[in-house]
Amino acid sequence: MNTATDIRTMLCDAATRLFTHHVNPKMLDAAKHDGWSAALWKELKKAELPLVGVPEDFGGAGGSLSDAAAILRIAARHAAPVPLAETALAGWLLAGAGLQVPHETLTVGPVLDEKLTAVSDGTTWRVSGRLTRVPFARIAKQLVLLADSTQGVRVVAVDSNACRITPARNLASEPRDEVVLENVVALASAPAGAGVTRDSMHARGALLRAVQIGGALEHALHLACEYAKQRTQFGRKIAQFQAIQQELARCGGEVAAAVAAALSAAGVVERLSNDHSAGAEQQKLMAVATAKIRAADAAREAVAITHQVHGAIGVTDEYALHHVTLRALAWREEFGNEVYWSMKLGRAMLGSGAVDYWATLSAA
Amino acid sequence: MFFENIDFSSLELPPAALKLRDEVRAFLRQEIAAGSFVPHLGHAEFDIEFTKKVAARGWIGLTWPKQYGGQERSYLERFVMTEEMLAVAAPCAAHWFGDRQTGPSLLRYGSTFLKDKYLPAITRGEMAFALGMSEPGSGSDLASVRTRAEKVDGGWKVTGQKVWTSWAHKADAFFVLCRTAPLTEDRHAGLSQLVIEIKKSSGVTVRPIRFMNGNHHFNEVFLDNVFVPDSHVVGEVGQGWKQITSELALERSGPERFMTTFPLLVELVRRLGRSNDVRAHEMVGRLTARLWTLRRMSLAIALALDPSSGKQGSVDLATEAALVKDMGTFYEREIIDAARVLVVVEPTMDAADTFERYLAECIVSAPVSTIRGGTTQVLRTLIARRLLGPLK
Repeated sequence: MNTATDIRTMLCDAATRLFTHHVNPKMLDAAKHDGWSAALWKELKKAELPLVGVPEDFGGAGGSLSDAAAILRIAARHAAPVPLAETALAGWLLAGAGLQVPHETLTVGPVLDEKLTAVSDGTTWRVSGRLTRVPFARIAKQLVLLADSTQGVRVVAVDSNACRITPARNLASEPRDEVVLENVVALASAPAGAGVTRDSMHARGALLRAVQIGGALEHALHLACEYAKQRTQFGRKIAQFQAIQQELARCGGEVAAAVAAALSAAGVVERLSNDHSAGAEQQKLMAVATAKIRAADAAREAVAITHQVHGAIGVTDEYALHHVTLRALAWREEFGNEVYWSMKLGRAMLGSGAVDYWATLSAA
Repeated sequence: MFFENIDFSSLELPPAALKLRDEVRAFLRQEIAAGSFVPHLGHAEFDIEFTKKVAARGWIGLTWPKQYGGQERSYLERFVMTEEMLAVAAPCAAHWFGDRQTGPSLLRYGSTFLKDKYLPAITRGEMAFALGMSEPGSGSDLASVRTRAEKVDGGWKVTGQKVWTSWAHKADAFFVLCRTAPLTEDRHAGLSQLVIEIKKSSGVTVRPIRFMNGNHHFNEVFLDNVFVPDSHVVGEVGQGWKQITSELALERSGPERFMTTFPLLVELVRRLGRSNDVRAHEMVGRLTARLWTLRRMSLAIALALDPSSGKQGSVDLATEAALVKDMGTFYEREIIDAARVLVVVEPTMDAADTFERYLAECIVSAPVSTIRGGTTQVLRTLIARRLLGPLK
């Protein structure tokens, strides 16, 4: 009974207990100003959840990408205000480059098409550049960055205190900061691991955001169903109206599809992680693009429906719905929105042509 | 909420399914090269010669016990078989209902006599089955069927009318849902399923109902005091409702619920070639993503329902199947919409160009998929029931 699935079930149960116990409305409200919850991070760290998916050899807790995705989905259901996805991405960059992963809040960059250069004087690597929309930069202890150097792309970790950080935020008030680096000394540096590029980091970011969107939408749907069962209008619970039922059912389909696509994609990316053949790269592209496209499409529909079912109460600051809906709407834009990924996937599928279309689609 | 205990991340086709897929693909390539069938979209074509070729390879009743002519293969192998046939719109109607519906029902509920009589015949492609469910007064509300069977010596006398019976004019037999006991407060009680041999029984009249493009696949079937021996009752008398609803998870979640317009997508991709139209890139990308997702959900259900998964019976996936069908049938229309936007033509049923003909066939048959096998509205009511639980 100790299969990978059983272990994941135990992990998920533990994560659900932890988030249910520690995340509360006050914490989420405070996070709008503070950018996060240090107290929640402390609990996560104690449970070693931020290190799931990072190999033990590099200081992680072991486990797979799908294990990390399972936890991220649960965190997103609770709108957990912590850089969990970002730390997972940073851990992947570091471990891939053979570097140890610090047990701290981490984040990654560049997330947009911005230039970052690393220069060595023979003993020390220094990093320079200007980045925007870096998630949780002002919170993270270290920024783990992909920088160009004369020796190719390098993974460099820097102390966030050594950078000039100007706070900015996304729709849900999560930190998305501007970071200026001027010859910042790298705490660790190594050539990027096999298959680690700006593109593959972007793709992995998109995949994790898709997982998060799935979790956030699950909770939005849950809130809408509970509300519909309580709210009375015209002398009946609104859940009894077929018009409401049909919309909730449609929402259910969207949410189920988003979750199915994201978790499936995590499995494909994981299975093919060491295969960099053209065929495998196309499968990974299809999986990741699908995850983000489907999640973003679902966000559009599910956010609209869950708010509609809630009526005016859902748009207030005091009611919980916006914590998940605003996050889903913000996340759909990050690491490429559905149009970006659709165009990329569409070009690839048209490139391989009609004859191979079905074989490609059904390969994974 | 949905798909509890389903692990999407580990979902992949086993080697046996991949091997079978290669065999099916090779077979279909050969059939297409030989011009043995002309694909039409909208309604699977009835082609007994094609069915016999499929049967000769052992591909009908793939999951059934060997003693009845089956192969005892997994549900995923059947899944692969089905999707390969759909991908090229192969003419499977002559074995489709037997393979998906009547065969599995007989296996689960049928007597040894019925199993011995019909299952091997289905797997050999010698008998085609149809389904006698809907009636003039019973569409979505199937429990209201009025076809009635009266007990007589050694059997039943059946009288009534069935409609929308696909391929009844070519099928050998059909399952008939009828009332074997008068209607009581429990509307679902007193219904039974009988096997009626269309060609051999007296009192059966089949009349065509033309589809709006003039094609003939639907029929109305009149039953006038048709004698059905006791041996042809499927399962227990009065248990018909339970029998037809117990198989819904598999019936509603298969790739036939989202792939009937798929060949149009392939033709669209062919037409577009290496188009520079950014709308084409975006739409093809999105259509690919949505199909990939539906396929994962459909696969997940097939895997969980497979007896070898150890999950059969422990999970009720009827609601998830309803989700797949609901989204799948709308997805089929998204392909049509994209094709129209990206390639401007006036589609006609007799166009020489395959893309244009497929587009016409898909447009005309588009209203059907969200009606047959559970309407959108019925499915969503079912889904809402899961989401909301019992409502006072």
